[in-house]
Amino acid sequence: MRGFLKVALLSTACAVSSYSASAQTLKLGVLATLSGAGTAWGLAMQGAAELAAEDVNSKGGLEVGGKKYKVEIVAYDDHYKAADALTAFNRMVFDDSIKFVVGPLGSAPALALLPVSTENKVITMTMAFTPKALSADYKYSFRPVIPSDVFSDPQIKWVVQKLGAKKIGGLFPNDESGQQVGAANEAAYEAVGAKFVAKEFFERERVDFVPLLTRVLAKGIDAFELNGNAPQTAGLLVKQLRELGFKGPIIRTGGDATADILKVAGKDATENVYVHQPINTDSPAIQEYTKRFETKYKTPLNAFSPFFYANVQMVFAAMQKSGTVTDSDKVREAMLGLKDFETVLGKVNWIGEAQWKSNQQLDAPFYVALLKGGAAQVVAKCTPKVCE
Amino acid sequence: MDYSILLGQAVLNGLVIGAMYMLMAVGFTLVFGIMRVVNFAHGEFYMLGAFAGFFTYVYWEIPFVVCLLIAALTIGVLGMLVERTLIQPFRSDEMSGMIATLAISVIIQNGAVLLWGPQPRAMPDIVTGTLAIGPFSFPWSRLVVIAAAALIFTAFWLFMQRTRLGRAMRAVAQDTETALIQGIRVNYIYPLAFGMSVALAALAGALMGPVFSVSPFVGLTPMLKAFVVVILGGLGSVPGAVVGGLLLGMIESFTATIFGSLVSDILQLLLVILILLVRPAGLLGQREA
Repeated sequence: MRGFLKVALLSTACAVSSYSASAQTLKLGVLATLSGAGTAWGLAMQGAAELAAEDVNSKGGLEVGGKKYKVEIVAYDDHYKAADALTAFNRMVFDDSIKFVVGPLGSAPALALLPVSTENKVITMTMAFTPKALSADYKYSFRPVIPSDVFSDPQIKWVVQKLGAKKIGGLFPNDESGQQVGAANEAAYEAVGAKFVAKEFFERERVDFVPLLTRVLAKGIDAFELNGNAPQTAGLLVKQLRELGFKGPIIRTGGDATADILKVAGKDATENVYVHQPINTDSPAIQEYTKRFETKYKTPLNAFSPFFYANVQMVFAAMQKSGTVTDSDKVREAMLGLKDFETVLGKVNWIGEAQWKSNQQLDAPFYVALLKGGAAQVVAKCTPKVCE
Repeated sequence: MDYSILLGQAVLNGLVIGAMYMLMAVGFTLVFGIMRVVNFAHGEFYMLGAFAGFFTYVYWEIPFVVCLLIAALTIGVLGMLVERTLIQPFRSDEMSGMIATLAISVIIQNGAVLLWGPQPRAMPDIVTGTLAIGPFSFPWSRLVVIAAAALIFTAFWLFMQRTRLGRAMRAVAQDTETALIQGIRVNYIYPLAFGMSVALAALAGALMGPVFSVSPFVGLTPMLKAFVVVILGGLGSVPGAVVGGLLLGMIESFTATIFGSLVSDILQLLLVILILLVRPAGLLGQREA
């Protein structure tokens, strides 16, 4: 009996001490692709969360309601797969009791876990481009990056007019993300008078695209669209297209992959490549963030990273404003109330009510760049309406 | 682009992929033929070979041929050590041996993630440019793979046919007990065969590194394809692995070029099933007595 009492007392003491330790810790989840072809995006998200945490931790923690919280990052790999993302997310929500998550990354993982995050009131900051990622039903889903259905129309219009391209070809991954991007792209090109003459789908693990590209090139395309492909894959596609003798323009309407395209395909193959650029690389704040990221992670910055960094800063500000780190309803309300919030991207706001019935889309300008001599040069600045 | 160009391009693509599958499958089938071990870690040795090629070529900046030799030697020796320490204890038990190779595969892959990180690394081309013959466009980087694979396989074949050690290996593959009676030291043959087998995988990995990219996960697809190839060619048959490898490469290339990727994946496996229905022991395999 005495032994039993000792064990009971000891475990109670442990529980109390671990409670007091964890009471000062704020866990922030990162659910992203940390292996395979989407790693560049995953690292961009993880890095953003870690740098934002570093900012507050270096000042002794995040001060909310008179208490200081040390921010701890809990990162899980979703392998860019819906099933793995859901497993990892369940672990975050039910084992780690996390209420704020940077992620999910792809559209398929997002669609799989949004019902769970909504039910458990977990605020997610997603990179999913699917229009279904934001809706009145998903109250806690925020999107800091500008999705292709916002930027693709003005960008495609600008590119098609500039290049005079009539026949377009493209390869897309065979999943929800790829199918959705493929369909949106086709519609956007056709809306401005170009025709998508070759559209192929492939499994994400694929690295040899030569047979498929041969098939696409056989249709006599004027330009090739890289949208929907992970950064590494986009680089391989550019490399293999040029190896097959395609000299026409290659367009990257989708998420930022410039660093990887340059790294994989090399300087010569990347001439005449037009890319979507989410950030202005000439801005001092972005340059400083880039330097900090690249020094810490020894990898080129993926341009999505500052968007997540900005969103995490907004979460922190909302926590301070609402005075809680646990009540995600209050934090959500406070975050939506932030206007002209100063970030590395400049002043940002929330938009999206008209398009998705959810005002949880971050608003920031974006750019079109042309790759020349191994570097991206901004050739147009865009808003959701027009590129100039 | 007309139909003849499409087909010409498909032949070259098929040869490149087929050459890689062939190198992978020859090593895979060699180990099965001699040791009766299905080595599920074969793809991880391909990945290690790719990394060995990557580091020596990118950081040491030495000629690629030397990088290939280093990859084959280091991974070959590692393979011998792995056989000696982790596979030999399960020699009499095929099932446990298979599970051991599965465990080795997981350990090597996760070890690589810990050591080198999960992100894919781009390896610079060994040769650049394309060979344009008429309307055909053949990248030199891919032609090199075909030539190197042919050379490597010839060297391997000569070794197996013309040297005492090669003959000893074949003898062990045919009948271990009789080989023992003839004075062949099986305990030396096993690690050697395993080392050679994974050295071939490493060579395939190092050769393909510049064409695709290098990451801890690159071994999975070639491993699965090698498995299909050896079943198609006949488990344990080296000529079967060559024929099967090239055939699968061609089927994959032609079906993907003509029908697209998704139909190609279905057609490849359908064709394999059809071939196995007609020849259950594989194209060049022999029925077990």
